[in-house]
Amino acid sequence: MDIGTFIAQFISGLSVAMLLFLVASGLTLIFGVVNVLNFAHGSFYLLGTYFTYQLMQMFNNFWVGLLVGVIGAGIVGMVIEVLFLRRIYGRDQEGAFQLLMTYAFILIIDDVVKFIWGPEYKTIPKPASLMGSLNLGTTIVPTYNIFIIVVGLLVVLFAWYFLTKTDKGKMVRASSLDRNMLGLLGTNVPLIMTLVFGVATAMGGLAGILAAPLRTVTPGAGVEVIIDSMIVVVIGGFGNFWGALLGALIIGEVLSFGILWMPELATVLTFIVMIIVLIVKPEGLLSKKMVGRK
Amino acid sequence: MKRKIVALVLVFAVLVPLSAVYGAETIKIGALYTMTGRGGQYGKDSEVAIKMALDEVNAKGLPGGAKLDVIITDDKNPQYAVSVAKRYITDDKCKFLFGIISSAIGLAVTEVSKENKVIFVGSDHAATDLTANKFQKYYFRSSNNTFQSMMAGAYYLKDEVKNWKKIAYIGPDYAYGRDQWMELKWGLDKLGVKYEVVGEYWPKLYEPDYTSYITAIMKASPDILVNGMWGGDTVSFIKQAKPYGLFGKMKYFHVDAGGNYEAMAALGDDMPEGIIMSARHHNNWPDTPANKAYVEKFYKAAGRYPSYAASGAYAGILLIAEAIRKVGNADDTEALIKALEGMKIQLPEDPPGFTSYIDPKTHQIVQVQAIGTTVKNDKFPPAKYMLGNFKIYPADKLWPSFEYIDYMIKVKGK
Amino acid sequence: MKKLKDYLPWVCYFIFFLGILIVNPGTHYIHLVARVIILSLYAVAFNLLYGTTGLVSFGHALFYGIGAYITGMLVKATGPEFFLLFIVIGAAGAALVSVFIGLLTLRLTGIYFTMLTLAFAQLAWGLTFKLYHFTGGDDGIQAIAKPEMLTGGVTKYYLFSFVVVTICMYILWRIRRSPFGSVLNCIRQNPQRITFLGLNVYKNQLKAFVISAFFAGVAGGLYAGLDGSIHPDMLHWPTSGNAILMATIGGMGTFFGPVVGSGILTGLETIVGKYTEYWSFSIGVVVLIVVLLFPRGVLGIKHLAGNKNKEEKETEVVCNS
Repeated sequence: MDIGTFIAQFISGLSVAMLLFLVASGLTLIFGVVNVLNFAHGSFYLLGTYFTYQLMQMFNNFWVGLLVGVIGAGIVGMVIEVLFLRRIYGRDQEGAFQLLMTYAFILIIDDVVKFIWGPEYKTIPKPASLMGSLNLGTTIVPTYNIFIIVVGLLVVLFAWYFLTKTDKGKMVRASSLDRNMLGLLGTNVPLIMTLVFGVATAMGGLAGILAAPLRTVTPGAGVEVIIDSMIVVVIGGFGNFWGALLGALIIGEVLSFGILWMPELATVLTFIVMIIVLIVKPEGLLSKKMVGRK
Repeated sequence: MKRKIVALVLVFAVLVPLSAVYGAETIKIGALYTMTGRGGQYGKDSEVAIKMALDEVNAKGLPGGAKLDVIITDDKNPQYAVSVAKRYITDDKCKFLFGIISSAIGLAVTEVSKENKVIFVGSDHAATDLTANKFQKYYFRSSNNTFQSMMAGAYYLKDEVKNWKKIAYIGPDYAYGRDQWMELKWGLDKLGVKYEVVGEYWPKLYEPDYTSYITAIMKASPDILVNGMWGGDTVSFIKQAKPYGLFGKMKYFHVDAGGNYEAMAALGDDMPEGIIMSARHHNNWPDTPANKAYVEKFYKAAGRYPSYAASGAYAGILLIAEAIRKVGNADDTEALIKALEGMKIQLPEDPPGFTSYIDPKTHQIVQVQAIGTTVKNDKFPPAKYMLGNFKIYPADKLWPSFEYIDYMIKVKGK
Repeated sequence: MKKLKDYLPWVCYFIFFLGILIVNPGTHYIHLVARVIILSLYAVAFNLLYGTTGLVSFGHALFYGIGAYITGMLVKATGPEFFLLFIVIGAAGAALVSVFIGLLTLRLTGIYFTMLTLAFAQLAWGLTFKLYHFTGGDDGIQAIAKPEMLTGGVTKYYLFSFVVVTICMYILWRIRRSPFGSVLNCIRQNPQRITFLGLNVYKNQLKAFVISAFFAGVAGGLYAGLDGSIHPDMLHWPTSGNAILMATIGGMGTFFGPVVGSGILTGLETIVGKYTEYWSFSIGVVVLIVVLLFPRGVLGIKHLAGNKNKEEKETEVVCNS
């Protein structure tokens, strides 16, 4: 393989990874702080796109649409957390009930979206400022893909800063370690969990909206991203933000080069990688805790 | 006064049971369509077209004043669809099975049709198998199979595209994707066209991100890129490939489902100009009064223009009605089969001088294929491009191909 | 303690599943009940792992699917004369695979265990797609013949399935009430206690895993004969999800809960599918209601969330003293 091909595949893998990361980051945040495996995360990805679509039908401005979609997804997330998820915290076999409840929400939201907006494919156009592409000599990179990579990196930087450098961030990290203790110390733990949940679902919505100009807006799009994002989270480590980034990069690049070397296996490669990681280091590549093992 | 009331009651008491005895029989068709997820659009469009066809058919009348009616259920997955199909037969007393978008479900339900000796008119799923190696006499299909599209495509590549050698294929990694490629290659080989395959790419169905495939294809640099995707995948692929300049660097060729209207509508201005595509029905071809009327009628009923799925459903109902008229009833299955074999039926997609018909040996509808390139055309909003510069391929040149059927039996088995 | 009351559920079971033949409401309903009873075996087998041992496997469709595919492919290759034998082979195949998967997954706990089971099932699903020359890929395999004496109407096959399922359920019932079953219950409630008693948690979980996989495989093989067609969907994650759903809706703390759950889910699918295209929404709402208000399932209704039934109280005493 010549250097040109290598660069082309590497950059495209990066672009794939960034979108995966944006979806997975919300998922891992929810698990890390609220201890919920949000199987319905894909539905917030979906809701974000539809809210933005609706707004653009009325005002035709991508950026306003983006803002509305992100906030909308966040609000729906918080409502679901307060009204429904809270009721199963602390239950026996909570994990199974989380799975079932979030699965129920996938089913419900998918149909609600179909009912309101219909089953036809919808489009969200790229903002005019981001059309076009950059010619890097041996390969072309669309401007929009660079934009996504930049947004992904900003999200990572912002999250890192917030979670490690600010007091509020430290409280959030503390709640993930010990809900009860923190509550005894006087912190309003339920409020933190709700807010974090809202932020995470907003991020899911953001991922959906950013991806929408590249893909199709259709009911069912949410279910399609959930399995891939769960794989990323597992590889990186549940609750580990950096892990989600690493996991996404691994999957993105493995797929990118796998297409060239093992085209027939491209579709099962992600599961194979996930299985290898779970066997060798089940807590995830970047997690320090020896969780999950006997 | 009292006597008038008694008389009235007596009259009703006699008339009501009498009308039940002599009243119109309802002939039921049991349809299965995907109503959720990515295929949901096709199910919805088929539903609208079925209603349109039923209105026409019942207005024209059926033997014995009977009325035709259709029950539609979401097919979900093969196991569920099979149980619904069986229910249609035993409980709902349907005389026909109908529809189905996914070939996998079609293959499962055709077994129910065979076992229970109930005619099944497929209206969308295009796996050639059902009218080839998996043929059973109770099955008919009112839309074309992938072989018809790809054989026409082979002719197009031979006659219309000059100076090409290197060809690459990208298609969803399942039977539909693989079959199209197999059929195109078989067609090219049959026509004696020499070509070199420089790449084969198999993303999963509903793959959201084609970026890495696109860069790999750009590097492989084929003269022709054949695409076997459908629906939202087509839209995603084209949107993602455009900024890479893919459409300027190679000829894009997508002749089974590329030119589907719902993809045109979703792409709008993002559709590249001059790419080679086709679909199983075009809203703007042929430019006949019949096609125009069909499209307008659909638009009035649904508030949008139809995708190809509607035309298959529409045709299927017309076929069944015609067969019932010929035979005089809906019960004599053997006679109905005979009536359907070879039946000619004028459909919106027929160009002047041609009438679609059912091939008697394979029960596959034989229609004309039209392959074109994208041109600016905003007569069917929200699409901004439609197909134009059509090259027409006559029906009997494409089907039946018993040579291909033998090949399929060898490769795929019965 | 063999109180007569303990056999009451069995009586209801027989009344319903045999009674349906006496009432004979038509082939459609018998076919429906056939599906219910086969899926009941799948759900009860799954529940040995879930309700009894406390392991949430999200990949049980794998064993169900292996059973179906081995049975189906053997019949296609050599004919249906040894149908019952093929079902056993299919189940054995599932059990064999489960040994490997169990060895790998049971090293993990909680969500990690769940995720790894999902990964393996999805891998198998992907492979079934890919190896299409062998498995028929996403076209599935059709026209799987039944043995001569079971053809001609669904009633015969239903009786056959009923006999097979009942035998398997009886075995599973006995296992649940055996000392081994108590150990499994304890593992769910208090794994440390088990270790202190000198027993090995991991080994016992593995035993449960393999037994559960075997009977799930039997269910898969039975299903292959019912419609004569199988499809990779049988290995797809929603099929695994359905096992969790059936066990939860019916009552994971009881033996017959999953049977009730299977009936409710299958019935809902059919009825709702008949009247509306928005069946996802309907099923979603039902699941939500069950999770919020009836977490112990239909058979656990009289014991509201928090209270435990007698059996659980007994094992708790043993495990936690």
